[in-house]
Amino acid sequence: MKLLVGYTAEERGAEAIELASALVASTPDASLHIAIVLPAAAPFSAVYPGGDHGYSTILSAQVDQWAKHALTLVPEGIQASVVARSVSSVAEGLISLAQQVDADGIVLGGRKRHRAGFFMPGAIANALLHSSPVSVFMSSPTAIETLRAANGKLTRLTAFVGDRPGAKDVIELSAQIATACAVPLRVATLVLPYDVQDPDRDLDAHVQATSDYLSQLTASMELDATIDVVVGRNLDEATGQLSWQDGDLALLGSARLAAARRLFIGPKAQRILGKLSVPMGVIPNPGSGN
Amino acid sequence: MSQDLRQDSNPAAAETGLHEKGLSKGTVGVMGLVVIGISSIAPAYTLTAGLGATVAEVGTSLPAILLAGFLPMLLVALGYRELNNAMPDSGTSFTWATRAFGPMIGWMGGWGLVAATVIVLSNLAAVAVDFFYILLAQLTGHDEIAELTTNLWINIPTTLIFIAVAAFISYRGMNATKVFQYGLVAFQVAVLLLFAVMSFTSNQPFDRTPITLEMFNPAGVESFSAFAAGISLSIFVFWGWDVTLTMNEETTDPKKVPGRGATWTVLLIMALYVAVSLGVLYWAGVGTTGLGAGNPENQESIFAVLSGPVMGPLALLMSLAILSSSAASLQSTMVSPARTLLAMGYYKALPTSFAKISPRFMSPSVATFVTAAAAAVFYVVTRLVSENALWDTITALGLMICFYYGLTALACVWYFRAELFSSARNVIFKFLAPLIGGVVLLVLFFATAFESMDPDYGSGSNIGGVGMVFILGVGVLLLGVVVMIYMRITQPSFFKGETIKTYKPIK
Repeated sequence: MKLLVGYTAEERGAEAIELASALVASTPDASLHIAIVLPAAAPFSAVYPGGDHGYSTILSAQVDQWAKHALTLVPEGIQASVVARSVSSVAEGLISLAQQVDADGIVLGGRKRHRAGFFMPGAIANALLHSSPVSVFMSSPTAIETLRAANGKLTRLTAFVGDRPGAKDVIELSAQIATACAVPLRVATLVLPYDVQDPDRDLDAHVQATSDYLSQLTASMELDATIDVVVGRNLDEATGQLSWQDGDLALLGSARLAAARRLFIGPKAQRILGKLSVPMGVIPNPGSGN
Repeated sequence: MSQDLRQDSNPAAAETGLHEKGLSKGTVGVMGLVVIGISSIAPAYTLTAGLGATVAEVGTSLPAILLAGFLPMLLVALGYRELNNAMPDSGTSFTWATRAFGPMIGWMGGWGLVAATVIVLSNLAAVAVDFFYILLAQLTGHDEIAELTTNLWINIPTTLIFIAVAAFISYRGMNATKVFQYGLVAFQVAVLLLFAVMSFTSNQPFDRTPITLEMFNPAGVESFSAFAAGISLSIFVFWGWDVTLTMNEETTDPKKVPGRGATWTVLLIMALYVAVSLGVLYWAGVGTTGLGAGNPENQESIFAVLSGPVMGPLALLMSLAILSSSAASLQSTMVSPARTLLAMGYYKALPTSFAKISPRFMSPSVATFVTAAAAAVFYVVTRLVSENALWDTITALGLMICFYYGLTALACVWYFRAELFSSARNVIFKFLAPLIGGVVLLVLFFATAFESMDPDYGSGSNIGGVGMVFILGVGVLLLGVVVMIYMRITQPSFFKGETIKTYKPIK
């Protein structure tokens, strides 16, 4: 597997490399492309007085130093290279680099930010989550802690699915990643009371039906996956019900309004992302007729 | 700006820097360059800040001095262009002067540039704050709001907030876009022209002064010291123009665009300055009472006083033009000293922490905050000790510009000493132009510095019988000498020439 790491020379960059390394570690042809993006030249905000002041020379020396350091963070056995590029938009630059090197996904290190109780990915992660043609993986310090507790190795993939059409695609893509990473797959579904008309009467049956449906689906795909159906009064509570182990990675699908083979995170997925404390990935819409 | 480093390939590849500027293709045409040039000059700001102080020195010869002040600027800028072409990657007085004259003079060149920009930052912030309150007063119709700026308890905190916001924006690496610059420049020019037209068509000028040809005669200035002070102030009003000459790769045609852009910029700016200064002279005269341009009360910010009586309710536009131009310049000028401080840290002329670059925003971190802090401290000190802080800082700024410009011009002559006479072109651009420009500016520097010891110089503020401008200007330079000696003792490698080699021509 080949991943593009959006790297900044500080903890979040190091965390991104840590997550990316864990993802590719046991895959064939493991390689990381570490991208350092620089702002594009903006001639209309001319630096005055004195022009450039030698800034581009000093910046390039600094980037060389950062690049060398980034390579030392990659474990043995994983091929790694650094690319530094000026881009007018960080997210667009990362996407075009990922396409250029034919990467299977983009990895970012991030910080969780809560605004009015809502999880807000950073501006760059947010842009990627709404436009990337490849999977986007994100870490946070607490997520990296759980990965470290598993000696930096992935131990399981958890794919979040709904009971709507599209679940199959998410399971399929997740299974491919799980196979590549040689880890077991868990398929998780959150059931909320308002999924059924009369919760008191129908909820248990609905949970059972969902569980059966997913078992049949995975069986028909010849997958060996555990099924986990959790119930909660709301999305947050349901997400909280799910048990996690060290080395878990959560995968979510794109919203259905995503363009074919693009990523577009829905409000529900965004809500779930905010509750998770394991590394997570969002996988693109596979596209119809494909 | 693209590079690849591979772990499994030749490690020497890591040494290849990003030496291209990362500009795929130049996008700036003549028109764009004129806009960049005018926005760097920020005419609405420079006129309000510089016009009054210049009138105080030269009276009705204002237009002549404005035009004459451009000459040394032109001569020095030609030398700048040669240095910029020879060392495009270093592009600053600090490295240029170090390469030419060695570490000590180079250090002072860097200090001079940083000091000049820190002074102008504090002045920009002050002007922005003044017009912020004037604009609020005009918008709300409560004249007393404009007076808030004279209350130090309100003025100083507001100014510090303006400086902090500008520093934050420049730290985050946010850049002005093309549309923004075009809009800002068009607005400034339009409002200034409107002011000139309205002052000539006014029914009741305050002190109608007929326009005479004598106003364009530089020899009409009474004394050499007034002439010197006037010129050093008018260099300030053209400060920014030389950016048009040093832009090369950014332009669509590096052979033609910079020359044409620079010419059009200076023609437009001169026309604008002449129109506005004649308008001010015609409407207000140089009398020292009431609304006269010679009244010391009016000199620290001429448009703050005149735009209301001249433009009536449209004065609102003038306040907006000056506020936007000074606030935009505050942010863009912040980048310059931060980068010079960063370079000085990187080459170990200052503590190495100054060389820190933010990995997220790719901008100087420590250097940006030191710049902002220095501008804030300079502002607070000047505001507290001077009766007329804006006026004194502008005069001290003229002094500082003369110092580092003059030094850099001479660095050009000395740097190219082996090839000065190898062609007619070199004789003009590498020898005569920078030599004359540099000598003129340094003479102006010493003349103004000497004059400014007089306690009555400038606004007339003084400490212990020594003029405020001298204390601000020369004091800051002497502070630089102290810091330099301290750095030489604690961190000698730069001063031993280990980080930047002094250039020696091959015989």
